Amino acid sequence: MKNITKMVAALLAFAAVPAAGSAVAQSQSPITLSGDVKAVETSVDAAGNTVTRLVEPDVIVPGDRLVFTTDYANNGAEAVDNFVVTNAVPDAVRLAGDADPALTVSVDGGETWGALSSLTVAGEDGTMRAAAHADVTHVRWTLESVAPGDNGRVEYPAIIR
Amino acid sequence: MNTQTIIKPLLASSIVAAFTISSPALAEGVSAGTLIENTASATYEDGEGTKTVDSNTVQVRVDELLDVTVTSLDSGAVGASPGEAVLTFEVTNQGNGPEAFVLTANPVVTGNDFETVVESIAVDTNGNGTYDPGVDEILTAPETTAELAADEAITVFVIVTVPDGVADTEESNVELTAEAVTGTGAPGTSFDGQGVNGGDAIVGATGADDTATGSLIAGITTVDLDKAVSLVDPFGGDSAVPGTVATFTITAVVSGSGSVDALVVTDIIPDGTTYADGTLALDGDALTDAAGDDAGEASDADGITVDLGTVAGGAIHQITFDVTID
Repeated sequence: MKNITKMVAALLAFAAVPAAGSAVAQSQSPITLSGDVKAVETSVDAAGNTVTRLVEPDVIVPGDRLVFTTDYANNGAEAVDNFVVTNAVPDAVRLAGDADPALTVSVDGGETWGALSSLTVAGEDGTMRAAAHADVTHVRWTLESVAPGDNGRVEYPAIIR
Repeated sequence: MNTQTIIKPLLASSIVAAFTISSPALAEGVSAGTLIENTASATYEDGEGTKTVDSNTVQVRVDELLDVTVTSLDSGAVGASPGEAVLTFEVTNQGNGPEAFVLTANPVVTGNDFETVVESIAVDTNGNGTYDPGVDEILTAPETTAELAADEAITVFVIVTVPDGVADTEESNVELTAEAVTGTGAPGTSFDGQGVNGGDAIVGATGADDTATGSLIAGITTVDLDKAVSLVDPFGGDSAVPGTVATFTITAVVSGSGSVDALVVTDIIPDGTTYADGTLALDGDALTDAAGDDAGEASDADGITVDLGTVAGGAIHQITFDVTID
């Protein structure tokens, strides 16, 4: 476990709570996001079946498979609309080849978006080529609306480069 | 624990790309010690406008993978004769962190026709691919390479002595093994805290060791010379009388799988005879009597000399010249 440092973002929400806290509390986000990462461990059971398990990424090396997950919840009293969760794909990993082909991705740092099959990137010789999984810089999910009390999880699989 | 959720009541702002697009050149794998950080963010609209919220940041550190390959750089069996022989190998750090490797040369391999004695293991210090005594560093026991960066490869020489008495075409193998200094074992074996930046070191698919075989083949080469003479007398017969022309034929037969260097055939002109100018020939092709312009030279006083140079086993050369009986 010493290997994993799950950090809480340094910027905390409560840095500027004024005396009249109730007004601020009302403006706090009703939406919570919680990120996590798990390693995918594949083994073969006694019957010869392949078993995959999500485990804490104690030990990870190039070629290993990770799953990045983001849990979301609407804890507020109102529905929110046009809910978009965006995840930058870390440099050290590439989107796994078996990721959902319909996943909305960006290969240019979040400028343009689409299914991977619809995107192109400039090759080394300057000509455009079809984008590959390794080119993906961001992934995102869009929900029209999240009702009060709703929650869910989005995730993408990645391979350590 | 990762149950804590952070709420950032920020006003609407665009999502900031947390990572630049251009990655550093990642060769075979991301470097050991690299931190993988992941933060999700969400935008949504409520009655007041567009809001943004970030998730917590999760961090994972890439551990050190221990992998190595050893390959023979010799294109085939190295020809050898009793004495020193050099086998050439390449050792590559296939892991993702810096690692040194212990090298072991084993001359006792099943199936060997003869066994060599390993004299030393040297590193190709000047990088020219050839063993240069006195230049290339000879490793001292326990023979250990310098720390190789991820993906770095070095050329290693194993210097052996071929024993006397080996027969032509006998073969012998020498194995070179490289083992990660941190440790070896079944893939997945973990050395806690021994990786880069205090991370773990994990044995990769190679087991963190590898062995390659270099081969020697004895090239024992011999030269046999055979001399024959035919006579033609002035009357059309074959008697040895004054005026008879004697044609000498020297046949050089080189046997064996190797080759001989600087093979020079010489003969004297017999007493009582005189060299017939311009009759020296090699394999049917005339050579001049003068020195320096071709492989041969001939004179009555000094006899004949033909420089055959390097001759491979299996070659046969015929040298002919005429003398006249005085």
